[in-house]
Amino acid sequence: MPLTAVGGGELMTPVLRVEDLHHTYLPGTPFEAVSLQGVNMEVQEGEIVAIIGPTGSGKSTLIQHFNGLISPQRGSVTVLGQDLRDHDLDIKRLRRQVGMIFQTPEQQLFEQYVGDDIAFGPRNFGLDAAEVRQRVKRAMEMVGLGFEDFKDRLTFSLSGGEMRKVAIAGVLALEPRILVFDEPTSGLDPATASEFLAKIRELRDLEKVTIIIVSHNMESVAQLADRIYVIVQGQSVLEGTPQQIFSQSDQIRDYGLDTPQVTQVMQGLRSCGRPVRADLLSVREAEEEICRCFDLTERQVDH
Amino acid sequence: MTDYSAFGNLTIGQYLPYGSLVHHLDPRAKIVMFSLLVAGVTFASSFSASVLLLAALMGIVRLSRTPLRYALQGLRPALPWIAIFATLQLLFYQGQYGSDVCSTIWSWGFINITTCSIRQIGLMVLRLLEFMIVISLLTLTTTTAELTHGMDLLLSPLRRLRFPAHELSLIFAIALRFAPTLAGELERIMKAQASRGADFGEQGRLRFIQRTRNMLPLMVPLFLSALRRAEDLTLAMEARGYTGGKGRTSYVTLSAQPADYLALGTVCVFCAILFFLPLETLDTLIVATVSHNMQEVYSLIAH
Ligand SMILES: Nc1ncnc2c1ncn2[C@@H]1O[C@H](COP(=O)(O)OP(=O)(O)O)[C@@H](O)[C@H]1O
Ligand SMILES: [Mg+2]
Repeated sequence: MPLTAVGGGELMTPVLRVEDLHHTYLPGTPFEAVSLQGVNMEVQEGEIVAIIGPTGSGKSTLIQHFNGLISPQRGSVTVLGQDLRDHDLDIKRLRRQVGMIFQTPEQQLFEQYVGDDIAFGPRNFGLDAAEVRQRVKRAMEMVGLGFEDFKDRLTFSLSGGEMRKVAIAGVLALEPRILVFDEPTSGLDPATASEFLAKIRELRDLEKVTIIIVSHNMESVAQLADRIYVIVQGQSVLEGTPQQIFSQSDQIRDYGLDTPQVTQVMQGLRSCGRPVRADLLSVREAEEEICRCFDLTERQVDH
Repeated sequence: MTDYSAFGNLTIGQYLPYGSLVHHLDPRAKIVMFSLLVAGVTFASSFSASVLLLAALMGIVRLSRTPLRYALQGLRPALPWIAIFATLQLLFYQGQYGSDVCSTIWSWGFINITTCSIRQIGLMVLRLLEFMIVISLLTLTTTTAELTHGMDLLLSPLRRLRFPAHELSLIFAIALRFAPTLAGELERIMKAQASRGADFGEQGRLRFIQRTRNMLPLMVPLFLSALRRAEDLTLAMEARGYTGGKGRTSYVTLSAQPADYLALGTVCVFCAILFFLPLETLDTLIVATVSHNMQEVYSLIAH
């Protein structure tokens, strides 16, 4: 590996770099659809980066480049030091390094038993039985499914949420260095969704996995991400920390996106002439700020 | 790199909304016309008739404003087979005309290339082309809704014989409607499993068991999703009071216009001409003339 993070140093080579990426589906047919027209982005090791953008803006197309499901038509994608335009790119190695979790991943399960389905990936990469078992166990515990309890359960008798956990464990078992999620919480109830987001953060904190996440849920993006890229009509138009991005609320709304509700409330207060900070993202922070501004103590808010 | 675009192959023959003269014809008239043309292609056993048919079809393609290249795309996967058959015919065909008509161009051992075998290959290639054009033209210029409605009405007289005309066209409509959906689904599942290191048909073409096993991760999720969709569709239809074809009226009432009769009449006359003109004789004449000239050329060379 020529390109890895310099231990502890400030100068880091990004684990993923996208330069001026273009993509057109079905070129040269009447169904031609331009989906990417100039995307630039960089992800550092151990970051959580969110990609947001309106439906059809090309987010899914973009992330499918990261593990070589789509090859760059114009521009370049470099992942962990591998240029994806290379003809002798080791695609299997890339797929082992970059885990991809699609929307509603539970629909890709096919094995009769939970354990076998999770083992599908590790087996494909030719790991020996003991190693496979070890990885399945670790992956199941990471998503909160007890190994002994669930490994011999029938896949299709599980609940929807459990099936999604199995599917995610199936990707985690590859022990990838970069994990890409396409709208991981769509169709989940709020409690399960926030449980999932907590798990994602844990993965980064404990396993040092770099996370790239496509999401429509601005609240969770604001909570989770270190940095955000905004993609509109196939172009990367904004980049910054959640504070930087969501403080430009007019622009965000112009792009057909929303800011988190907390941010909207704070901005509403400001436009009523209250001197509150408008760049807050969590309910907790907002609560403190409002208390400070209106000279309330927290107990009064609680009642 | 493998291309996972299942859509690419399925857009062949998908409706193109160009709003031409051909698009506006009554679907019933179109179905009858194109059936007649298919019959024409099938029964036209002479080269001259085939050339006439091709010319007529080109005319219709022109009128419909569809790109010809597009209508012929479906032919591409068949090209190697066409090449093989053409070669076999070229080498081994022993003409049905006596040797008085055919003349040998090149012969070596049992291989015998004659003017007749060349005519035969020309005929075969022309026929394939024409089939492709006729079938694509119908689907390129007619929506599936129109097609099924037309088919339903055309078959409705048979209902008195207890023929399930409505049910048949409904099955046909559903199949057409869901083909692209399932193709999209397949693409999604393929990408998900490839992300877990699955290989599809890249290793050893002859290892059938291996290859079949490799298909399981695709087939199981695909069937499950098809079943789910079928269930949803059933519910949706029942919820809207669908009870089968009996007493069912239609939102669109088709009424044939003079243009429809004119188009249909033209095609009828054209097919009648193909059928009744002595085009076989014309063929024989052409082949004989060419053979004759060839012989003269040969004898000239010999001197
Ligand atoms: N497999 C495909 N074939 C053809 N067009 C596609 C395909 N997938 C996406 N598109 C088109 O590309 C554009 C971008 O889609 P996508 O990347 O899925 O956007 P997003 O994930 O941001 O909603 C859309 O206009 C969509 O219609
Ligand atoms: Mg998407």
